[in-house]
Amino acid sequence: MDDNYFGSYFRRRIVFIFMIGFSAVSITQLFNMQILEQPSYSEKSDENSVKPIYQTAPRGVFFDRNHKVLVGNKPSFTLRITPSTYDKKLTPYIEAILGTSPGYIDRILKQNESYSKFIPRRIAKDVSFKVIAWYEENSSKLHGVDYIMETQRDYSFGIIGSHMFGYTKEIPMETYLHRKNEYDIGDNIGFGGIEKTYEDYLRGDKGIKYMLVDSKQKTIGRYKNGEEDQTTVKGDDLILTIDKDAQSVAEEAFKDKRGAVVAIEPSTGEIIAFLSAPQYDLQDFAKVTTNEVWRDLNNNPDKPMFNRASMSTFAPGSTFKMISAIAALEEGIIDTNFKVTCGGGYQFGDRYFKCLHVHGTVNVQTSIEKSCNTFYYTLVNKIGLDLWSKYAKKFGFGSKSRIDIPEEAAGIVPSNDYYNKVYGKNGWTKGFVISLGIGQGELNVTPLQLAQYAALFANSGKSARPHFLKGYTDTRTNQYVEVKPQTYDIGISKKSFDIVRRAMYLVVNGAGTATNIKSDELQISGKTGTAQNPHGKEHALFIGFAPYNNPKIAIAVLVENAGFGSTIAAPIARDIIKAYLIKGNKEGNKNLAASTNIQEERIAH
Amino acid sequence: MHINYKLQDRFDLAIFIPMIILVIFGLLAIYSSTYNHPTASGNFQKQLVFAIVAIIAFFITFSLPQQLFKSFAIPVFFASLFFLLAVLVIGKTIYGAKSWFGIGGFGFQPSELAKLGTILMLAYWLTYKNRDINNLLDIGVALAIGFVPIMLIMLEPDMGTSIVFAIITISLIFWSGISLFGLFVVLSPGFVVFASLFGVYAFTAALLLIVAALFFFKRDLFNSVTVFIINLSAGFFFDYAFKILKPHQQKRIASFLDPSADPLGSGYNALQAKVAIGSGGFFGKGYLHGNQTQLRYIPEQWTDFIYCVIGEEFGFIGSVLIITLFLIIFLRLFKLSATAKDKFSVLIIIGVLTLLFSHFAINVGMNLGITPVIGLPLPFLSYGGSSLLINMVMLGIVMNIYRNRKLHT
Repeated sequence: MDDNYFGSYFRRRIVFIFMIGFSAVSITQLFNMQILEQPSYSEKSDENSVKPIYQTAPRGVFFDRNHKVLVGNKPSFTLRITPSTYDKKLTPYIEAILGTSPGYIDRILKQNESYSKFIPRRIAKDVSFKVIAWYEENSSKLHGVDYIMETQRDYSFGIIGSHMFGYTKEIPMETYLHRKNEYDIGDNIGFGGIEKTYEDYLRGDKGIKYMLVDSKQKTIGRYKNGEEDQTTVKGDDLILTIDKDAQSVAEEAFKDKRGAVVAIEPSTGEIIAFLSAPQYDLQDFAKVTTNEVWRDLNNNPDKPMFNRASMSTFAPGSTFKMISAIAALEEGIIDTNFKVTCGGGYQFGDRYFKCLHVHGTVNVQTSIEKSCNTFYYTLVNKIGLDLWSKYAKKFGFGSKSRIDIPEEAAGIVPSNDYYNKVYGKNGWTKGFVISLGIGQGELNVTPLQLAQYAALFANSGKSARPHFLKGYTDTRTNQYVEVKPQTYDIGISKKSFDIVRRAMYLVVNGAGTATNIKSDELQISGKTGTAQNPHGKEHALFIGFAPYNNPKIAIAVLVENAGFGSTIAAPIARDIIKAYLIKGNKEGNKNLAASTNIQEERIAH
Repeated sequence: MHINYKLQDRFDLAIFIPMIILVIFGLLAIYSSTYNHPTASGNFQKQLVFAIVAIIAFFITFSLPQQLFKSFAIPVFFASLFFLLAVLVIGKTIYGAKSWFGIGGFGFQPSELAKLGTILMLAYWLTYKNRDINNLLDIGVALAIGFVPIMLIMLEPDMGTSIVFAIITISLIFWSGISLFGLFVVLSPGFVVFASLFGVYAFTAALLLIVAALFFFKRDLFNSVTVFIINLSAGFFFDYAFKILKPHQQKRIASFLDPSADPLGSGYNALQAKVAIGSGGFFGKGYLHGNQTQLRYIPEQWTDFIYCVIGEEFGFIGSVLIITLFLIIFLRLFKLSATAKDKFSVLIIIGVLTLLFSHFAINVGMNLGITPVIGLPLPFLSYGGSSLLINMVMLGIVMNIYRNRKLHT
């Protein structure tokens, strides 16, 4: 039974025939290809090899919220050398026409030595037409040298925006190894900012042209008349939330200053202006970046590469007083009748905490309007550290806002746990907490967080994740895709907000600390601040929103080493707000004026 | 010439020597296609290490007590299912498929281990006590043993490997002595599932054909109705399973079925492979002198297109030599399957033979342009540690059976 059951003759024969049969077919096919048709295959291989030529797709363009171009593309020439056929004797001539220092070409070839000799290297990007004309005249002698047309970022549209836009650069080896399917060596990839976050939208699809090349890689025609070619697909254009006018006013104001501006549309989280000053020239990165450019940028004492707007952290000073006010009101610890008498300071234990003036009797609103420290030393002591840090965190401090650029710091909101960790269980005193009331001490916030904080006051606790992307046009379908804001509500009563918002209104429009920017047209509300700086003169701060009744913009302005907030930071904020709200369109102005009139009436009640 | 008959009696040189020559050719071809490559130039050294490890594993498997393999069947099978599940969750995505574990600088492909596990498990199940392969339930379990890894591998997705598993499952059931009706029961659900991919009408037509065939076989009502229900539910189950797949996985299955779709540019690769082999001529262009290979016309040539390196640089002589070496191994395995005394060993040998042969046929066929482009490595030659290791271990098991063939009565 066994033999019959297992390897029956029938079964064995089928398998045997199959194995011998397949081998015979394969050998026949090999005989056909390698012996009978060998001449024709050889010809194909030696003279008609198909070579894919990759064409880089133009990156998507950046538009502002009113569809004005912010960053575009321009065509440029790139000169390349293929080492397998390049004659080194040509080097001095090429260096002369490029105007580079001797040894430049050798250095670049050495940097890329590990790649196959058959891959062309980009020697210079954005070369002038003069070089191309010279190449065309002498191309028969210039073995191993060629040029290609590529597109390059064009930054000539009036604003710089270096920190939010980011730049593009040749893909680094490590990234390439992870994304081999999508990129080739020498491709550009977004570095930092919006260019990095939205890389997959922006880069588009590379085109492939199949060319017939001979064994010396010389092009002799197109493969199948271009039937199998793939056309390039341009990257998706991004519509950003930025307002070009507001951004341009901000950049103008910070031309000779260091600092940051973040302006946000309060109800949607759309970022209207975003600036870190000083900026750097994105154009420098569009070429083959030389080591000198890198060195200069990295050694500059003003740190132009550092994104101050979302990464610099500091103690926010008096702009933080509203945290204590809102916490105390919301928790019922105080009401509008609660009063403190300011005699110029506050005694706590054996320490005396100073106020800038003798304010006399102050309530919660006048304390914000006049920025009285004594009131907040008292108040934070009543609230306690736990509640205070709970409210600070509610407003987004101490954690990242998840803005859509990779550069962001979380900052620090001290808590019991934090102090225990840093100083040990008994290593700190309640005195540490007193200075938190006026935004000093171990509190660290970013300008972006302050802007979002202002937006939450503007819109009474409802806002959305701050973001740059308003929408994009999908190049394949040619459709505009709108990005929906991710809204949230921090859950604090309108009643508490109304009291604090009113006080912020009075800071500018009453007898407060920023009456210098009072404007009936704009109806700005806000708060000044001075951030202590252990390394030099204090930083000036202003946060605010406008118009008071129906806020369309919230803003935070930081001017480094400029002293008191109202004199320098507040006027910059006013100019940016004005550039955003008033668009030279008379219809719009009338509407704005009408709405401010209504506000006046409400405030009068 | 002196032949050590004592050695040959315990150690089959007719398998071992061709295997070693194939590995050496593989290393030569990997070196040629990667030595001045920007990112793959380390592959030769890696493969050399893999080869040494695999040979050690081969000798360990060879010297283990034979009874052990039967007791390995269940643990190895379920361990490989566990790894196949795990790789879907924590695996690395390489070339669009989630089929790798990354450990340090090396990767491990659990579908390779599953090959061993599935062959052992099928052989174990099909020979357990008085198994009747023509009993519907027994066929069902045997199919399920093959079907579970196939589904998991399809999800990675790795179509080529799924196909190999299907071939192994069916050929082991076939070899166990299934009747014509049994074979019909085994193959018909696959037929219905395949038809269901082409829409409702094709699905209905396929079911009608099944009904017609059932009348032809004139089985009793219970058997016929059961077979019909199995077919019907296979169609519906597949439809349901297809819908819960992610869109990109659905697309892959669709593009696999539609030969005119060419999502990965595989037509271009296949054309270049043919040019490389054809232009090699009778003697080849010489080692390291094939311009198709050296100019990198074929991407990732060291994996699925390794055969065309040999075709181009060693010509007709080299290409036929490779086929001959494989054929020697296959015929030798085929002969051993007749001399092995117990059913379990016979099925193991047939499983290993089917596995190696289907890889060989699909890969060489693709390189020569006689089968569609399906990404599968060429055993012993293609770059890849997991596949080399498992292939050698499986030949180690076969050699072990050879060593012990006279101990059974």
